[in-house]
Amino acid sequence: MAAPVAASRGFGLGRPGWRAKRDVVRTVFLARIRIISRYKGAILMEALLPIVFAAMPVLLGITVAAQQGGGADPGQLFCDRTRVNGVCTTNFKLYMLIGAATFTVVSLMLWLIGYWVRREQETGTLESLYLAPVRRIWVLAGVTSYAFVRAMIAFVIAITLGSVLFQVNPFTGGVGIALVFLAIGFLPLWGLAFMFGAFIMKIKEADSVIQVLQWVLAFLMGVFYPITLLPGYMQTVAGAFPPTVMTDGVRASILDISYFYNSMYGSLAVLFAMALVVPLLGYQVFEITERRLRRKEGVGHY
Amino acid sequence: MSKKKLLEFSRYPIAFVALFVQIFLIIAMFLYASLAFTPAGAPATAGQQIGANIVYGFVMGLFLSFTLWEIGFSIREEQTRGTLESLYLSPASKFASLLARVFAILIWVGALSVFAILVVGSVVGGLPVANAGLALVVLVFSISGFLGLAFIFAGVTIKLKETAQFLVSFLQFFFMIFSAQFFPFKALREASPLIVDGISRWLPVSYSVDTFRSLLIGQTPELGPSMEIEILIVILFGILSPIVGYWAYNRLEKGARMQGTLGEY
Repeated sequence: MAAPVAASRGFGLGRPGWRAKRDVVRTVFLARIRIISRYKGAILMEALLPIVFAAMPVLLGITVAAQQGGGADPGQLFCDRTRVNGVCTTNFKLYMLIGAATFTVVSLMLWLIGYWVRREQETGTLESLYLAPVRRIWVLAGVTSYAFVRAMIAFVIAITLGSVLFQVNPFTGGVGIALVFLAIGFLPLWGLAFMFGAFIMKIKEADSVIQVLQWVLAFLMGVFYPITLLPGYMQTVAGAFPPTVMTDGVRASILDISYFYNSMYGSLAVLFAMALVVPLLGYQVFEITERRLRRKEGVGHY
Repeated sequence: MSKKKLLEFSRYPIAFVALFVQIFLIIAMFLYASLAFTPAGAPATAGQQIGANIVYGFVMGLFLSFTLWEIGFSIREEQTRGTLESLYLSPASKFASLLARVFAILIWVGALSVFAILVVGSVVGGLPVANAGLALVVLVFSISGFLGLAFIFAGVTIKLKETAQFLVSFLQFFFMIFSAQFFPFKALREASPLIVDGISRWLPVSYSVDTFRSLLIGQTPELGPSMEIEILIVILFGILSPIVGYWAYNRLEKGARMQGTLGEY
């Protein structure tokens, strides 16, 4: 009985069940965590970086205000200049801190996935990974979970420490809504990270591309300013970019200012739609890219 | 070594273009950040003053961070590739080998700086350029001083290996804030006078930034009692720093050789 079945279907490769898949995610996740735990300085730097990033525009704002003379209040100037639909905030320090901390999360998610692909390519283990009897999605799930945890650690430390340093209170507005924006915003980020990984795999040049994209992100996300200050066409581009909607939502809910898509529901709906489409699209792009590469020079080529 | 570095750079045109784009974006971001505080209808001179403060400090910051990164990183690269030990067995001067690593990057940063100044100038409608000759002299001595810091960092890289990357990141941001690279020192003073008097005033890099910026803008310096004294501090920094830096590098490198960890990574 077994012989005809084997003859018709072949012995086949062992197909991993759910437990095995979960183990793959767990193993990849733990491996990455173990590696980074050896570099405590990196974790500390990631947490301090948003504070430094936020400090620069804060000090710049103080300078600009001082130049206006007459003891101009930077908070009031910021409020007047960034008022949308009659609403604005004078708490520019918290505005910058939230922007910088969210930017770190976005940047880390993309950076860690991109570098993971590149590192595996360079160390010659990417091809071996492709020969393992497991679908790439589970390996990627492990890496992205690790990136998520690392990014969240940096975010929480940055917001806590930054709030103490800048003497601002992040718990004044709708923190719950902000967390919802952050949680939903992570899904399209995963999709973007997959696309980014595919891009790195294709061009095989991580450093300069990651660095330049990081600043493109920061520019489009409006880390230091509301995107309403950008020219109209750029606002449209930035508004279609998931990290912009996420940052805008987190800020608007905490600082009680207007949302880019007019209301909390509007912004949440847009982000939710992005959360449905972008991860699927990202994984598709990743799969297509790797399929093409495997057909041509192979994924181990670097 | 310099030729090799230039050749290597020329092989990565994407990286070259990416760097220009990156500089443009960083500047654009800070200009927009300053715009968020500028009242509508503010006079153009206010924008020019802010633009000059940002870009002249940024130029100094570019030279500092590229010098620090380049020497440390190329040493680290030699370590990882396993060529550092062989290089030290060759009869070439180690000082020349260290120095040669930054020539290509200095040319590169020079081009980036000109680009940055032109971009900001075109956006804010011109920048003040007073005492350009003297500012150039200050820049040369400052770069020489940065080289000294980079030598120390190269030695630290041999000792700390991978962790040195975090150290240089930290230093980069430390100087960015405490040497007031994107804003005048009075902004730091307004945050807390202790920052300027307790930290900034004790950093030679702060004087490089302040002197260079004040000379080009044509204003009195913010840190030292007079421009002459600030220039003197920068000149002394430019002369002493490479000597002290190379001495420190030699000590760290000798220590690594004695322990047999030079090629270790």
